[in-house]
Amino acid sequence: MIRLRNVSKRFGSRLAVEDLTLHVPAGEIYGLLGHNGAGKSTAIGIMLGQVWPTAGEVLVCGHDVTARRQQALEKVGAIFETPVFYDYLSGWRNLEILSHYSAPTPAQRIREVIDWVGLTGRELSKVQTYSHGMRARLALAQALLPQPELLILDEPGNGLDPEGIHEMRQTIGRLHRELGLTILLSSHLLNEVEQICTRIAVMNQGKKVFDGALGEVKKDRAWVRLRVGDFSRAVQALRQEKIITDERDGQWVALAQNVGTDQLVRRLVEQGMAVYEVAHEEQTLENFYLSLMKNDGPSRLW
Amino acid sequence: MVNMFFPQLRNELWKLFGKKRTYIGFLMFLLAQNVIVVLFRFTNGPRVSMQRTLEGNGYLAEQFISGLTVATFMLFPIAYILMPLYVSLVGGDLVAKEAEDGTLRMILARPISRLRLLLVKWLAGVIFSALLVLALGLFGLLFASVWFPWGGLFVFVPGELFGVFDALSGCRQYALAHWVMVTKASTVMGLAFMFSCFNVKPAAATILALSFVFVNFIMQNIPYFRELQHWFLTYHLNVWQSMFAQPVPWWKLGQSLSILLGFNLTFLVVGATVFQMRDIKS
Repeated sequence: MIRLRNVSKRFGSRLAVEDLTLHVPAGEIYGLLGHNGAGKSTAIGIMLGQVWPTAGEVLVCGHDVTARRQQALEKVGAIFETPVFYDYLSGWRNLEILSHYSAPTPAQRIREVIDWVGLTGRELSKVQTYSHGMRARLALAQALLPQPELLILDEPGNGLDPEGIHEMRQTIGRLHRELGLTILLSSHLLNEVEQICTRIAVMNQGKKVFDGALGEVKKDRAWVRLRVGDFSRAVQALRQEKIITDERDGQWVALAQNVGTDQLVRRLVEQGMAVYEVAHEEQTLENFYLSLMKNDGPSRLW
Repeated sequence: MVNMFFPQLRNELWKLFGKKRTYIGFLMFLLAQNVIVVLFRFTNGPRVSMQRTLEGNGYLAEQFISGLTVATFMLFPIAYILMPLYVSLVGGDLVAKEAEDGTLRMILARPISRLRLLLVKWLAGVIFSALLVLALGLFGLLFASVWFPWGGLFVFVPGELFGVFDALSGCRQYALAHWVMVTKASTVMGLAFMFSCFNVKPAAATILALSFVFVNFIMQNIPYFRELQHWFLTYHLNVWQSMFAQPVPWWKLGQSLSILLGFNLTFLVVGATVFQMRDIKS
């Protein structure tokens, strides 16, 4: 659905996106993660033909965005971090205006999306009277008007209260389930991404540092908390036997591929070491993300 | 996509005329014209001076101190100072305000080309300019006619213009002057619109356009540059007043209108090029 090949974007002397290669397959809920200023919004701007890449190729729905922007965006809806509208006009009028930038849209279609997002009854009120949540729904309505196949959400959880975030999560699920949309979601809310997305890419300082299925993250090499009499001696022995690949914080060891905790315990007992505790650490996206940021790249982990 | 042009233009007009600030120009014209007409009616200065000039040239003053004459008398200061201000206010807003508010990013997430978006916006600006000039002419004539009788038209700009018309031909010249004035309004709007396409705040676009116009006007009126005045934009912008000359200098009018057309196209092309190359970011 989206394919970026070696895309870079330079603003003056600052490289905002560096050699980014990304593939968002159809049918996925794809999370683009990264801290503020990591280059997520610039990457989304490039996908929407709003920011011109300095180098690289950008294909959206099979069309080159820089050369055939209109065809590329025909079936794309987008929502940006703070939903902004023509506040002095009604919700209905806003939708009418925005829909005409895509294609002729019958009133029936506008009614349908208003109904879908749950704004029926308030569509004729001026947008300036809408709450933040209602604006978010109106933003969703405008994105759904062209009957998109791809929905791009740039930091949609920003400024929402916990209820709003919960509602947003439910809505994204519904969009994926009921309308079969491919969704690209940029966020720095790790918990949200973890609950919603099927695949993720992580960006740091304009570079992609990870790209893969969320399941892979959770199946990442297991860190095991190991409490023994002499941790250094245990690590030395386990490394020699190639049972672990890494250690941290004086109590965590990373098991090598295809090694179980039973082997680890057996080896330590054979060495005559007292083992007090062996516990698997649950790999969360947060742990994973933080380790990526700490290592500034995937090379050590992947 | 051709059939989408008119709905898109209508959208721009909805956006433009849905905003309160769009009406500031209309409101200020109403205010300024009422103040001028009341001052003209209840003070002696300008009326007596006009009377003297008319009588000194062998005309009966009471035949020419009419609603039409007062409406034209009011036209000059408003067209020179207020009108550029309000058209550049709207022209400067057209792109830059949407960029500032973030709505431009939402529009450009849709499959509309930047050039097409600019064209509908520019056209909406031209329609606004034409309506503002129309309001200027109609309001002026209406308020002046409340206080002054129907009669001939007398126009006098020392050293530049002296025109005396009967009521009917005066009306025609008054209408034609406004018709030509639309080119002034849309050129100034186009200038502000061009600046609005740059990555600047709406106020900056308005101020840049006004500065350009006023600097031109000041330079045009410096005696040293008198011989070169036709090189300045304002010389051509104010060609509408030649509709009150006797006879009307049609050649000069055609020349100035052609130059203004060139300016308009240049502003549009520069604006479109800059806008096309720009990155639209939040």
